Amino acid sequence: MIQDTASPTVTPQPWQLPAAIAAALLVGFGITALVSAEPWRAWLALLTGALPDIRFSSTEGWQVHRLVRFGSVIEEAITLTFLGLAIAIPFRARQFSLGADGQMFLSALAAAAVSLTIGGPWYAVLPAAFAAAVLTGFTWGLVPGWLKARYGANEIVTTLMLNLIAVQLYRLVITQWMNDPNAGFLTTPVLPAAALLPNLLPRTNVSAMLLLVPFVVAGAGLLLTRTTVGYEIRTVGQAPAFARQVGMPVERTVILSMALGGIFAAFAGVHVSNALLKRLPVDLTPGMAFEGLVVALLARNEPRAIPMAAFLYAYLRAGAQAMERTSDVSREVVLVIQAFIILFVVSERLLPATLSPARLLQWVRAPRTRAQEAR
Amino acid sequence: MSAASTPAVETLLELRNVSKRYANGTLANDRVSLAVARGEIHAIVGENGAGKSTVMKMLYGLEQPSSGEIVLEGRAVAFRHPRDAIAAGIGLVPQHIELVPSFTVADNVVLGSEPRSGPWLDRPRAAADVRATAERFGLDVDPHAPVRDLSIGEQQRVGILKALHRGARILLLDEPSAVLPPQQVQALFSALRQMAAAGLTVVLITHKLAEVREVSDRFTVLRGGQVTGCCPSRSASESEITEMIVGRAVAPLRVQRVQARTAQPLVSARGLSVLRDDGRMPLQSVSFDIAAGEILGIAGVEGNGQAPLAGVLAGLETPAQGAVRLAGQWVSELGPRAARSAGIASIPEDRLRDGVALGMSVADNVMANRYHRPPFSRFGWLFARRAHSEARHMLHEHGVVARSADAPIGSLSGGNMQKVVLAREIAAAPRLLVASQPTRGVDIGAAQALRQRLVALRDQGAAVLLVSSDLDELLALSDRIAVLFQGRIVAHFAAGTVGARELGLYMTGLREQAGAAATLYTPFTPHSEEVSA
Repeated sequence: MIQDTASPTVTPQPWQLPAAIAAALLVGFGITALVSAEPWRAWLALLTGALPDIRFSSTEGWQVHRLVRFGSVIEEAITLTFLGLAIAIPFRARQFSLGADGQMFLSALAAAAVSLTIGGPWYAVLPAAFAAAVLTGFTWGLVPGWLKARYGANEIVTTLMLNLIAVQLYRLVITQWMNDPNAGFLTTPVLPAAALLPNLLPRTNVSAMLLLVPFVVAGAGLLLTRTTVGYEIRTVGQAPAFARQVGMPVERTVILSMALGGIFAAFAGVHVSNALLKRLPVDLTPGMAFEGLVVALLARNEPRAIPMAAFLYAYLRAGAQAMERTSDVSREVVLVIQAFIILFVVSERLLPATLSPARLLQWVRAPRTRAQEAR
Repeated sequence: MSAASTPAVETLLELRNVSKRYANGTLANDRVSLAVARGEIHAIVGENGAGKSTVMKMLYGLEQPSSGEIVLEGRAVAFRHPRDAIAAGIGLVPQHIELVPSFTVADNVVLGSEPRSGPWLDRPRAAADVRATAERFGLDVDPHAPVRDLSIGEQQRVGILKALHRGARILLLDEPSAVLPPQQVQALFSALRQMAAAGLTVVLITHKLAEVREVSDRFTVLRGGQVTGCCPSRSASESEITEMIVGRAVAPLRVQRVQARTAQPLVSARGLSVLRDDGRMPLQSVSFDIAAGEILGIAGVEGNGQAPLAGVLAGLETPAQGAVRLAGQWVSELGPRAARSAGIASIPEDRLRDGVALGMSVADNVMANRYHRPPFSRFGWLFARRAHSEARHMLHEHGVVARSADAPIGSLSGGNMQKVVLAREIAAAPRLLVASQPTRGVDIGAAQALRQRLVALRDQGAAVLLVSSDLDELLALSDRIAVLFQGRIVAHFAAGTVGARELGLYMTGLREQAGAAATLYTPFTPHSEEVSA
């Protein structure tokens, strides 16, 4: 009874994330001030560099500049949202599956392959491409899930290894069977127009996928809160022994959590192939999923918070590039600040868990009360 | 205040109007005043949540009083950290003593304050020190024995030695008897008396009334954070103390016994054995029956096969041999979900780990055993509102104190949490309920309510297997009692024909009936003359 009875579940407060970010930005500014001759300018570039420049002039009327950069923020936020969800779903079952990268590569490949092979109008090609991608992501997620449930293989190891396999498989397929000999470099042919997601913002690659994001996020939320599988995922993550005790299919839940995460990685894959690049180069850079991991971490694996976290992350990245270009501060400093944000968010105990007015009052009054009682 | 304390005895430790308000606003102690005399055994009694632990924590420097003062030998003291309390001569023996199993007794005792020679641990001196302390206070332990070979009672003595080794003059013990079988409780009490005679002061937290009168010189009762009574122990009757503890007289639970010898068994287990990978057999050919509407009690010191037995019945463990039938149907080896759909429910022993999902809401916890069927879900889609209304209904019907059905179940007190667990299991309308330590760590009022629910379930025709280390509870509720020792049933008694002392003989292995079983037709174990005489 004397043991620490502090409740094992610290419910995060809604203001904690902004507070952590503010604290990290403050520390980051301190670092910038140390390395830069003009820290204000550099800092302004970091915070506003990603924004489009909207100007009014009497000769040309309203003009919007730098839309490309802001477009790239949105593009990246979309990809990161999907990858964040792909990581968050297995994390909620307390499965540290890092396989979103492999799932995304193979899904993109599947979507591109379907888009290139079946012709026809967009309403035939696009659903088929999506279906192929989702099926691929799901199946590729089943593998580490099955290895974990059947053989107890650590999912961190298996998913990282499967990522390597997936990337090499992707490169093999593109080099050997999908290469476009006219391109001049190793890549697939450009996808047919019917397979491309319609563009929303001129001069950028912001596509109709943006409109799909709210639905996918809501779908992930509903999956977790309104379905028996989601309930099983949450319970297995929170209290595996309890889940077993009440008769939940724990192994199946473990497998499904990783596979269901693959569905969201598949959306990222389609976004890359059928909206951003419109073809798949052999040297598509792996590692994006680890930024999805950071996004999931920032959002505490809560689907509703993931788009916000993804946008914040993408925004800071674009701002970092702007800062690098326009000031004497190197991009590495921004990486340091990003690292600070993550550190501040994960060390939630740095910040008091509750900050109710009553508590504040007590805090303020406590010394006086003590003084009075001493008298 | 302690009006009854005789002025002749010197007050050693005193709490004066101590209040403690936690950061979340809970007032755990409200102007508590109590005085402990030098060389006495002082019991602090009260229900769970009455504030006993908070008093202990403040005395040991784990918490600081919000107001009031702690006075040691006439001087106000402020313990900011346990090391302040230790320096002042206060030692704590927690309920669950954590020792290093592979270390010897002496190593464990000196751990953290080791005698050294140069950079090295001075082993011979450690052993000599420990032996000297043990002899001075009459605590019989071999300093060279590895801790893993010790009984729980002996491990507790090591815990006491550890506190004494650090120079404790005042010993705080948190529910020391809760983990011990009856015989070892006696040994503990005589050790405590000997230590008090040698000049040590003992402060003991307990909620067992019999112990207050048996071992303590004086006691203080806490209820809702306030002191409600304080007397010399011998002058108070049990019913008086009970009233101070709960604020009203608790009617002793009178349970109508059921005679099921001629009935058909609803549950029948034959030759159950469990084999571990390392070759141990924690359960060895256990056979028993339970009739519909009967409670079979399982007595035994913890770790003698109760957990694997409950595990097999709940479908969590696969027996190496033997089988369980429920109404003629084979139910073992099917896994927990199949066992549950066959009509088996279970209250797990480790409530916080197996009984609830702490971080999830009451509503989420309430539907955990039925969520996969209508009315809670259909085709994989959950009806959240249904789970909510069910949870609200349960909270109301079982008198659970909770903010709402959305509150995380971890925010409930132990008793209220256990009420939710039992309510959930009963809601599945089980034919067999396996109840492991159903009232452990639950206050008297809630325990009584839980026991009444168990009896009501029995009277509705369910079979109940009651595993409990609270012998009074077993004796009060069971219709038949079987004793487990080292994984085997060693005795089988009818209710009302056996007492705690006789059960204790079988629980500790001093006596056993060869080939005992608890089926409906096996004869009861004959009573031994010296006990019944």
